Amino acid sequence: MLNIENLHASVDNKPILNGIDLQIRAGEVHAIMGPNGSGKSTLAHVLAGREGYTVTDGQVLFEGEDLLGLETEERAHRGVFLAMQYPVELPGVNNAAFLKASLNSVRTARGEAALDAPAFLKLARDRIALVGMQDRFLKRNVNAGFSGGEKKRNEILQMALLEPKLAILDETDSGLDIDALRIVADGVNALRNPGRAIIIVTHYQRLLDYIQPDRVHVLANGRIACSGDGTLAQELEEKGYGWLNEESAA
Amino acid sequence: MNTPEIAMQRYHDSLTGIQPSLTGAELPWLAGKRRSALEDLTRLGLPQRRQESWRYTSIDKLLGYELMPVTEAMASLQESDIRHLWLPDLQTHRILFVNGRFVPQLSDLSGLPAGITVGSLRDLIRCNPIMPARWLGHASGASRHAFGAMNSAAIHDGLVIDLPRNQRLERPVEVLQISMGRDDAILYQPRNLVVLEAGSEATLIERHVCLGNSHYFHNGMSEILVQEGARLEHLRIQEESPAASFLHGIFARQAADSRYEYSGFSLGGAWARTELNLDLQGEGAHARLDGLYTTGSNQLTDYHLNIRHTVPGCRSDTRFKGLLHGRGRAVFDGSIVVEKEAQKTEAHLNNANLLLSRRAEVDTKPQLEIHADDVRCSHGATVGQLEPIQLFYLRSRGIDALDAQRMLCMGFAGEILEQCRIRPVSDIVGRAIENELNALAPEVAGASSD
Ligand SMILES: Nc1ncnc2c1ncn2[C@@H]1O[C@H](COP(=O)(O)OP(=O)(O)OP(=O)(O)O)[C@@H](O)[C@H]1O
Ligand SMILES: [Mg+2]
Repeated sequence: MLNIENLHASVDNKPILNGIDLQIRAGEVHAIMGPNGSGKSTLAHVLAGREGYTVTDGQVLFEGEDLLGLETEERAHRGVFLAMQYPVELPGVNNAAFLKASLNSVRTARGEAALDAPAFLKLARDRIALVGMQDRFLKRNVNAGFSGGEKKRNEILQMALLEPKLAILDETDSGLDIDALRIVADGVNALRNPGRAIIIVTHYQRLLDYIQPDRVHVLANGRIACSGDGTLAQELEEKGYGWLNEESAA
Repeated sequence: MNTPEIAMQRYHDSLTGIQPSLTGAELPWLAGKRRSALEDLTRLGLPQRRQESWRYTSIDKLLGYELMPVTEAMASLQESDIRHLWLPDLQTHRILFVNGRFVPQLSDLSGLPAGITVGSLRDLIRCNPIMPARWLGHASGASRHAFGAMNSAAIHDGLVIDLPRNQRLERPVEVLQISMGRDDAILYQPRNLVVLEAGSEATLIERHVCLGNSHYFHNGMSEILVQEGARLEHLRIQEESPAASFLHGIFARQAADSRYEYSGFSLGGAWARTELNLDLQGEGAHARLDGLYTTGSNQLTDYHLNIRHTVPGCRSDTRFKGLLHGRGRAVFDGSIVVEKEAQKTEAHLNNANLLLSRRAEVDTKPQLEIHADDVRCSHGATVGQLEPIQLFYLRSRGIDALDAQRMLCMGFAGEILEQCRIRPVSDIVGRAIENELNALAPEVAGASSD
């Protein structure tokens, strides 16, 4: 489903990704871990198509299509979704209007009919209950004045509405209380199906206890330093990242 | 090209010429006011760029026009021409002016409660001049510049509201001010007078629109007196022609415990300047001034605010926002003066501008002059662009770049629109701004490089 080959990218002329190779098949859940500043969010943003992130080498195929050649919104239309590490506040932009515009743009791109206001509201209420939020969050402005955890839940709400093919969750578990963590995990598990792939960027084993990734990768210095199955995450929890450097030095 | 001297002479001569034919020319108090305004005109001379309040606002182009002062409507309209211009879904007292002149046939003042005056200044001067004789020139004081003097030299028609003590006008007064230029550019000078006596309450909605796209110069003045405990909600939508020159001076005075709430939306005009002078003269008076302006290529929008706290315990909250695109130009010059006696004043003033193009330009100058020591005041201004991270966030959710830009701009404007309690007004303004943003499509495509 997703095929990343030798991906190099820089921000402000500073190289940050230094040759990433990663294959994710439909139905799989991959976790990406790694020290602060290793390039995890950069990779997520490059995949989502953020301006200012320049790909200097390599390619990314999403369902056989050149992902990097697509505009940001076209990627969303194809089913790519990024839950951001720092969700953006949009003062003055109503959350319900935003969610409806977003959902309808993706539905239209998928060849489905746009939802009218009542149909949207019904669906939104349903998904809101799923992520443990209250209806009043629909009336507020997008993320404006939301607590850290509420912003993360709002990201999961968007994911639950858009039902993406490739969901990238960038530290969605950071700043969440235990209940919210469960909700995120349930949301991810609900999305899990043979047609979808999920990338979870996290620092903690705890979320992975709930989600059980198929593969775990460790990103260091803009490269994948090592990969393994779920036990790798446990190993990291015990040993930290120090041994990685020793190993690569050896 | 006209020199300022020639333009000045022409204004002076044409006003001298029409004075004898104006309504009430035989009334000594009125003829005297008009004559002394003519003298003010000569004394003041035309505004110069070296004067601080005209530094960013050139009048050169305006002086280039041969303007014909008119005191008649100069056009006849049918009900069907204007039906769509009244606010939908709102019961109001409707009053129509065309080129500054009251048009009774197309107004509807039939539902007015007894004892309340809503009508034409000209009619009042003819039939019952006591009220205008008492109040005209009261709030405005002496002319501050040549254009104010020109208006006072030709006072003849405009809106009058006189609300007796403790009267509450249920329905809003809706003023439609239609400009219709002709082949030769016209100058018209409406003069409005609004007096809310103690304890009275009203909502005034003014809409300035144009039929056709010709040039004209609206040089208007409004005097507003909000007496003790009275309350006025004042909404203005300015959608003048893209070729129009527009200058309007509002002079509002507030007595003790009064409320004045202003929401102004400036969307049109090639050269549009609004001067808002507010004097809080009675303890416990509160004012809220909200403004929103949009400015594109070939447009200058200029707001001059002059808020004066002269007594203790008053409050003013002022928030203006500007949305600029293309080669749009805006000037915001807002000052709060807190005089020595005005202890316990609370006064805040903010101006925020969003520039959608690198070629747009704004000069903003919020000022605070405080002579009292126990006050809470703040002022500030910002000039910024759309945040790339916000655009990215929306686009990453499938919303295309143009819609994303529009949503963010409407969000920016929404903070002012939300304050406007009359829904049909905020709807009309919101739609007008959305249309303006939609028309920007070609420019947005190159937004990142522009
Ligand atoms: N605009 C920029 N200019 C220069 N350096 C940048 C810029 N943006 C990111 N970086 C750098 O790129 C590196 C990778 O950042 P990134 O956010 O991808 O790390 P991360 O792995 O997500 O870290 P964390 O675990 O803390 O979220 C960091 O060293 C960061 O400082
Ligand atoms: Mg990160």
